[in-house]
Amino acid sequence: MNDRVLLVEDDAALGEQVVRALSQAGFDPHWVRDGDEAADLDPNQFRIVILDLMLPGMYGLDILKRYRRKSEVPVLILSARDDTSDKVRGLKLGADDYVTKPFFPEELLARMRACLRRPTLAQTERIVVGKLRIDLSRRSVSTDKGEISLTPVEFEILAALGRRPGAAVTREALVDAALDPAQDGSRRTLDVHISRIRNKLGDAAPLLQTVWGIGYRLSDGS
Amino acid sequence: MKLRARLALTLGLATISLLVLMGWGQSVLQTRLRTEALADAALHRMESGGRERCERDPASWPTWQGRRHGPPRRGEPGRRFRRGPRFFAYDPDLRSRNPQAPPFPAELARRLEGKEVAATRSRDGHRSQVAIRMPWNDGPCAVLLVRARGRPLWFSGAILAPAGLASVAVFIVALLAAGPVVRRVRRLTEQVQRFTHGANDPIDVRGDDEVAELAAAFESTRQTIETQIRSLRDRESALRNYIANTTHDVMVPLSVLQGHLVSLQQRIEAGETLTRDAIVPTLEEAHYLGSLLHNLNASARLESQRGLPYDDEIDLGRLVERVADRHRPIARRRNIGLETAIPEDRVVFRGDLTLLEQALGNVVQNAIRYNRAGGHVAVVLEGKDAGWSLRVIDDGPGIPEGDRARVLEPSVRGSEARTRHPHGMGLGLHIANDVAKRHGLRLELFETEGGGLSVCFSASTAPTEPRRT
Repeated sequence: MNDRVLLVEDDAALGEQVVRALSQAGFDPHWVRDGDEAADLDPNQFRIVILDLMLPGMYGLDILKRYRRKSEVPVLILSARDDTSDKVRGLKLGADDYVTKPFFPEELLARMRACLRRPTLAQTERIVVGKLRIDLSRRSVSTDKGEISLTPVEFEILAALGRRPGAAVTREALVDAALDPAQDGSRRTLDVHISRIRNKLGDAAPLLQTVWGIGYRLSDGS
Repeated sequence: MKLRARLALTLGLATISLLVLMGWGQSVLQTRLRTEALADAALHRMESGGRERCERDPASWPTWQGRRHGPPRRGEPGRRFRRGPRFFAYDPDLRSRNPQAPPFPAELARRLEGKEVAATRSRDGHRSQVAIRMPWNDGPCAVLLVRARGRPLWFSGAILAPAGLASVAVFIVALLAAGPVVRRVRRLTEQVQRFTHGANDPIDVRGDDEVAELAAAFESTRQTIETQIRSLRDRESALRNYIANTTHDVMVPLSVLQGHLVSLQQRIEAGETLTRDAIVPTLEEAHYLGSLLHNLNASARLESQRGLPYDDEIDLGRLVERVADRHRPIARRRNIGLETAIPEDRVVFRGDLTLLEQALGNVVQNAIRYNRAGGHVAVVLEGKDAGWSLRVIDDGPGIPEGDRARVLEPSVRGSEARTRHPHGMGLGLHIANDVAKRHGLRLELFETEGGGLSVCFSASTAPTEPRRT
């Protein structure tokens, strides 16, 4: 998959800033300023499309409609208006998300990455986070130093975190997933289990992070 | 056409129609009376010896005709005809033996078929012709033709005079009776015209007739228009205040932003090496300015309408991600951790996407803006479609318990709101609270374990307090 990004934005200053941010983030931006010109392009040549709505020539939502007839490429709408109808229409027409102006380039990149990540969130039997590998079907956990022996509760906790790598999972959700509320389903018990898992993970322990106010996360920091 | 003129014309036409109808009726009646009189005269004449004389000498009967015996005397039938009627005798086949008798009129013969008496008028219209079949049906004098001069009059003085006088009287009375109505209509017209030209006097609606109903309808319309005008003036005034407040609200952070930029420029010109932190206040102020404009827009939408303008399906997890991504750049620069937790299953809610996002954004922004460097903010979505809660937790200074309800009140919008208090005692939390109410959600403020603040949006069936496990 290429890293070409189609940016459809008529404002010169904003367009230049976004192009610079995309380039610095490792993407290959292709900037178009006119709606009619954008409508004639093949969206399948790009990994993602960033589409402003108020454009000279064809209106942004009409371009989106045209793209959706021939492509499933992720489309991120740039909206300068606080008009709900435009956003909702955009999402209904097949846009994957939107970003409201004004925005920081980081916000745009984060929303882009979320759009690109979404199709890969399908359920999988083998989870890899950094040096940690979790095999859900075999109920085994290993690092480059070999297999780690976990109790059933510890495995369920790690699996619940591993199913959503990078996402913070609340303590309540982990308790519901791994502990029996009637017997040992308390946050304190959970913290004890987490502590034991960290000990068993060894140098992979930093992958299991505490998230303030929420719970825990399994992430390699990427 | 004026009301009086229209009434006069109507009455005139009605009077003429009535007189014509009466004349026609009189004409019909006269014709019938004339026919009966002529028939009586013929019978009288034949029964008083005329039959014998006629049958004895049918070729010359009646002998007085041609003024030999003169016209009928006073008291005899036929006296009313000025020159007297003329009689002609015919046999049952309608043939006369008198050479002076005219041929029996064909139209009269047709009408006489099967009848005792028939009548027509002559071709020139000046004579009445009556045919009488005699009680005997044989001989040369079985049928008599009577001709009399003169046409029936349409009008006679006996009818016309009272009818005309009555019509004139009705005409005058009607015009006099229309006077008060006309005056009230004129007064109503003047009152409506005065209202049109800016006067605001109530319209007189006294009376219980159609004019009073019309006046009441005008008065109702006047009151509606007056209410609308007052509403428009209020809105105009509110708009002026809104623009003034908005200008002030925008100018303050804009001035701060300009100040930061000038300060940066001066430090650069002075050869100072700027650290990463030097730019943070500038970015933060720009971010605040953007949020402020979104809030002002949201506030205008909320003030302009009741309820929710949009009711669409919203993925709350995506909404949380979007809000976090929006504020994460500022949080990172202020060294504040911003984390989110979203359930594995989608949580869907129906509402206004922009307003909900703005409401959550306001709470998150407050949690970051008034937190300390190195602090934490967590946005936690829990539950399912039927019952969910969305909490924004921070470890900042918190809000004293006594102030928590007050910061949600709408009254803090105004001059007090212009001073930026901790946790948005201005527009932000008020909008969040208003948006929550319009969505049927609860917005509650709790103290967190470390003394910070937890702001919780919740659908009715969800637990509001953080769950303790």
